[in-house]
Amino acid sequence: MISTLAWNNVRTNRLGLAASFAAVLLAAMLVSGSGLLVAGADTRDELSDIMGLLVLSAAVSGFVAVFVVAGTLSMHVLRQRRTWALLRSVGMTSRQVSRLITAEAMVVAVLASAAGCVLAVPYAALMAGFLRTTGLAAADVPVEMTTGPFILALVTGPGVTLPAARVAARKAIGVRPLEVLRESAAQRRLLPWPRAVVGAIALAGGIVLLWLVPQVKPVAAVPAGLGATMALCVGASALGPVALRVMGGALGALVAWIDPGAGMPVRASLVTQPRRAMSAASPVMLTVALACTFLFAVATGDAATGITRTGPSAWAAPMMVGSAVIYTVISVLNATAMTMAERTEEIRLLRTVGTGPRQLVRAVCWETLIVTSVGALLGTGIAAASLTALGKAATGEAWFAYSPLQYATLVLVCVASGLSGALAATWKVRHGPLLPGD
Amino acid sequence: MSDHAVLLQGVTRTYGSGATEVAALRQVDHGFPRGGFTAVMGPSGSGKSTLLQCASGLDRPDSGAVRVAGQDITRLAENELAVLRRDRIGVIFQSFNLVPSLTAWQNVILPSRLARRRPDPAHVRGLLARVGLAGRERHRPAQLSGGQQQRVAIARALLGRPEVLFADEPTGALDRGTGRQVLALLREAVDEFGQTVVMVTHDPEAAVRADQVLFLTDGRIVDILDRPSTAQIGARLDGRR
Repeated sequence: MISTLAWNNVRTNRLGLAASFAAVLLAAMLVSGSGLLVAGADTRDELSDIMGLLVLSAAVSGFVAVFVVAGTLSMHVLRQRRTWALLRSVGMTSRQVSRLITAEAMVVAVLASAAGCVLAVPYAALMAGFLRTTGLAAADVPVEMTTGPFILALVTGPGVTLPAARVAARKAIGVRPLEVLRESAAQRRLLPWPRAVVGAIALAGGIVLLWLVPQVKPVAAVPAGLGATMALCVGASALGPVALRVMGGALGALVAWIDPGAGMPVRASLVTQPRRAMSAASPVMLTVALACTFLFAVATGDAATGITRTGPSAWAAPMMVGSAVIYTVISVLNATAMTMAERTEEIRLLRTVGTGPRQLVRAVCWETLIVTSVGALLGTGIAAASLTALGKAATGEAWFAYSPLQYATLVLVCVASGLSGALAATWKVRHGPLLPGD
Repeated sequence: MSDHAVLLQGVTRTYGSGATEVAALRQVDHGFPRGGFTAVMGPSGSGKSTLLQCASGLDRPDSGAVRVAGQDITRLAENELAVLRRDRIGVIFQSFNLVPSLTAWQNVILPSRLARRRPDPAHVRGLLARVGLAGRERHRPAQLSGGQQQRVAIARALLGRPEVLFADEPTGALDRGTGRQVLALLREAVDEFGQTVVMVTHDPEAAVRADQVLFLTDGRIVDILDRPSTAQIGARLDGRR
């Protein structure tokens, strides 16, 4: 019964699940595509450097995929909340709703992973060509067609989707049947203790890894540094609401002073709902932290060993990071769109009490700017910590190399995707009919 | 200046098109008297909510004119409509009247802040006390009961001294006792401040507070009663069914 319902829901809801499909597809493609290249380069010593980079980028993709898929699935669950409420009201238990959502997500995950495997072959060929022409790889990278990478992708897709679906399902069953009709704005606790414990453990793990980076063998330094960044990201996104309330409150007060009409609701929403704001800030933090660590670790390593890259080779690392950034842009877009979509009623109400169209645009932009800035600041801090440790490992000094241009581009891409996500998600309610309810 | 706060002239509103076309309002002409309390009644689907939405500028009629203080609001651009809602019209809904993240005080002063005005704090405090919310200025909507939220919405609407205050089933989500308090407040706004109030309701007990009751059926005004009793209203509603 559940599986039939899940299959039908997926079929009738293709558009709503498109983002989740794309996210899983990309993860499967990146993982199996990198796997094909690694399998091809397996036996050749001159390719060991590039192999390490590929394995790392595949691992980062898998890690990020959990967040991206969780975000897109949550958006789907949020959009369908009337369906869940309806199913609950006709007698479905919360456990059954949870299973239904997981089943829907798994249908999408299996289909997307299969599609990702198909696309992995041209992706691997493209990457091989890219690595050769840029000179990042010392020799030709053959694409070896073995089953291993495909099996890995078929496991990774559903594997990252399962925890993500669990998170999304918990949100859906948190909604009581009647709550949908009259959205309760009861404040959630700023930091429930399980979240605080997870955050503290991840943060402590990250600090231990940071301390380990200069101690371990040089080969293990970069993976340890990336590991530290990942752990710190998990910790910061768990504990982030506290930081967001403080930083968001201060920036919000400034905005409320500059632009009182649009700023007052912005500030209030950041101070009262820092967890909602953090869910939009997290992907920005993740993108900035991971991309900076990856990008500037290469630059720091090059500087330490006296390598100066020129021409296409200088752009190889940024471009590899670029493809990962495109992936996280999905999650930034999705997360800001989601936090704004939750507030359809509120925006409609702001319009009925006389908020003008331009004031509304300013309010949406201010809030997104503050949230993405906080995310970028946290991400920068995390990357700086990991890079300092890596620099210490490479040169013995607390120092690292970075490019202001690449950094600025990265932050701008995040801010621009946040703004477009927020403006697109609110377009309908900003311009549509102003009738109360539906 | 006419003696009508809001004047509807040949207002028609249809939804959908072709075979699924539904006429919610057909050529409605009516003037809501300044300083009067008017209730709009009718069976569901009669167009009473559409009437309120068109009259308050939340929806645009397909044809006809809606004049608020003599100005035809159907021709206004979105920006001008926003200013109209901010300064000249107050609206109260059945539920979700307040911005959840703002305190009662902030919700009340929101329209003024949107207009970059600073309302006199003593006046705001007095108004909140007037609606029975003294001491609750810093509470957020989630910390207030449904009736209290509704009274914050009334205070917000009254602060700007609007031309007209529209209320769409304001007691629909409240229990009887709380609903009575809200109705008493609307009545006082009319009697003491000369406020114009237009209220859509299906409850004869609410409608009986009004000076005038409009009955709508199939998008047309079919009857108008002045100061009717509950029994008259009940009889009128039953007779139509």
